[in-house]
Amino acid sequence: MGENRLPVVDARDIVKVYQSGSEQLKVLDHVSIQVRRKDFIAILGPSGSGKSTLMHILGCLDLPTSGEYYLDGLDVLRLKENQLAEIRNKKLGFVFQKFNLLPRLTAIQNVVLPLLYRGIDEKEAMKLAEEKLSLLGLGERLNHKPNELSGGEQQRVAIARAIVGNPEVILADEPTGNLDSKSTKDVIGVFQELNKQGNTIVMITHDVEVARQANKIFYIRDGKIYDDGGLP
Amino acid sequence: MRFKQLLKLVLINVSQNKVRSFLTTLGVIVGTATVFLVVAIGKGGEAQVSEQFSKLNVGSIMVMPAQRGKVVDPLTKKDAQLFTESDNIAHAFPVLRGNGDINYADFSLNGGFIAIPPEFQQSNNLTIQQGRALEDEDEKKKNKCAVLGAELANTLTDGNPSEIVGQSITINRRKFEVVGIYNRVGDTGSPFSYDDAAFIAYSVGEKYLLGTRANPTIMVEATGLETVQAAIDDITYILNETHRMGGAEQFRILDAGSRLAAAQESARTMSLLLLAVAVVVLIVSGIGIMNVMFVTVKERTGEIGILKAIGAKKREILGQFLAEAVVISLAGGVLGAVLGFLAVPLLKYLELPAVPSVGGIVLGLTFSVITGVFFGFYPAWKAAELSPIDALRYE
Repeated sequence: MGENRLPVVDARDIVKVYQSGSEQLKVLDHVSIQVRRKDFIAILGPSGSGKSTLMHILGCLDLPTSGEYYLDGLDVLRLKENQLAEIRNKKLGFVFQKFNLLPRLTAIQNVVLPLLYRGIDEKEAMKLAEEKLSLLGLGERLNHKPNELSGGEQQRVAIARAIVGNPEVILADEPTGNLDSKSTKDVIGVFQELNKQGNTIVMITHDVEVARQANKIFYIRDGKIYDDGGLP
Repeated sequence: MRFKQLLKLVLINVSQNKVRSFLTTLGVIVGTATVFLVVAIGKGGEAQVSEQFSKLNVGSIMVMPAQRGKVVDPLTKKDAQLFTESDNIAHAFPVLRGNGDINYADFSLNGGFIAIPPEFQQSNNLTIQQGRALEDEDEKKKNKCAVLGAELANTLTDGNPSEIVGQSITINRRKFEVVGIYNRVGDTGSPFSYDDAAFIAYSVGEKYLLGTRANPTIMVEATGLETVQAAIDDITYILNETHRMGGAEQFRILDAGSRLAAAQESARTMSLLLLAVAVVVLIVSGIGIMNVMFVTVKERTGEIGILKAIGAKKREILGQFLAEAVVISLAGGVLGAVLGFLAVPLLKYLELPAVPSVGGIVLGLTFSVITGVFFGFYPAWKAAELSPIDALRYE
């Protein structure tokens, strides 16, 4: 096993408990997951299974109640909020079900934003953003606002935003959940292509067909995770 | 993120909501305009006071009855003579004032006349434009002659003053010969206008126009600014000696210095009052900004989540929303300064002196920015403190 096959995402015994009133809700129950560089992983589960919570924890947007999480060798649970923001900026790229583009910004302004938060010079950043958008076939749509784009196009803008900073891991939360079948195929194709180019992708979905396009599937049910062969 | 890009982002957000931004900043517009006008009015008042007093000798002192109307124990010519015996006093002139019908040819008006000892003219810069001045002879012989203020002469002759010299006028149906016209003196800071009055010799006024009702004011000139207080003390002493019935109490002694101070004080009070109004307006508008910023933060909670997901730090979120508040209030400040400028002619029309100044603009804009920072901080801080996941999940 080469150096580049070390796990970039290494989460162990992750527990997440929500307190609602006097009741405790265990959303994640000792979940462990390793993702190696260049993996394309799907986490498949029905709604309410805890897959989104897992995604938020892997994305450093939320902290687990207990467990350990190393991202690219960094002990995430010991980091301060500003350091987490920096990790989200440099090591992670998010793709959401609802695209989550900023409505008042154009496509290229949306894509350039993570680079600006990184402190990269605006001219340089614009060049990179334009490159990524062109790569995703949106070279003609740079100055369109989200509401002027189709769902598939919006999701491709979101993907461009996720990859523009060359993250270690792309996290996609139901990326096809709001798309028609043609756009779904389209977006999955983009992910496969990105994976072929060496990007590491973790994709959450409830759609078996979509999950099958990944190289490896984890199943999640009632807060517990099972790998390929292990679904009861 | 660098400042320039942050500002760009802020401007995009603010300009997408123009109407709301404008309504939010309405209070700031009014507040800044008020601050600007406060400074303008303050400066105008200052200018007016110093103009009023520029022609007034600061060594001059006025002695007059404390009460209007009938006076039991009036001042007399003799009092004025006694005053001049003080080492601290250069001159003291009794002056009689009255109102009456002034007639020339078939033109009649109600005007003022002033009876003065002839020496009064030299020490009050009354110079002759045409004809001659009042002379000692007129005082001694009680000559019924008058010298007119420039404005009065102009009015009586309908703009052709030179014709009146040598002619007769009547004051309260008594005939006087016009012997001269004074040069225009403008505002002297004295409570009556010289340019609108007819001047006659003191003795003449006493004899023909006022008679036993003569109730003079005595205009005193101290030898210098530093002797004003000593002169006032001397005057008080003399009045106590000569008017044993009521003493100096029944007279008012006004010196120019204290009148100047009083005028400045009232101008300052006016400015402070207006400034207080401006501050209240800005506080109210600041609360408005705070409310709108809270609504904005609430509305854009999801967006804040997105920004946090792509790596915005707390201080960057804080900076963005704070900058939004400041941009909105600063825009209000600029509009307010323009509004203030437009209001200056209106104030002038209302005879409120106002002098626009760069200082006023700077102060107004400073206040508007302070309002934005102060009231924008809490909502921006709230936005920055949102947890990324709560913000992202917010619907």
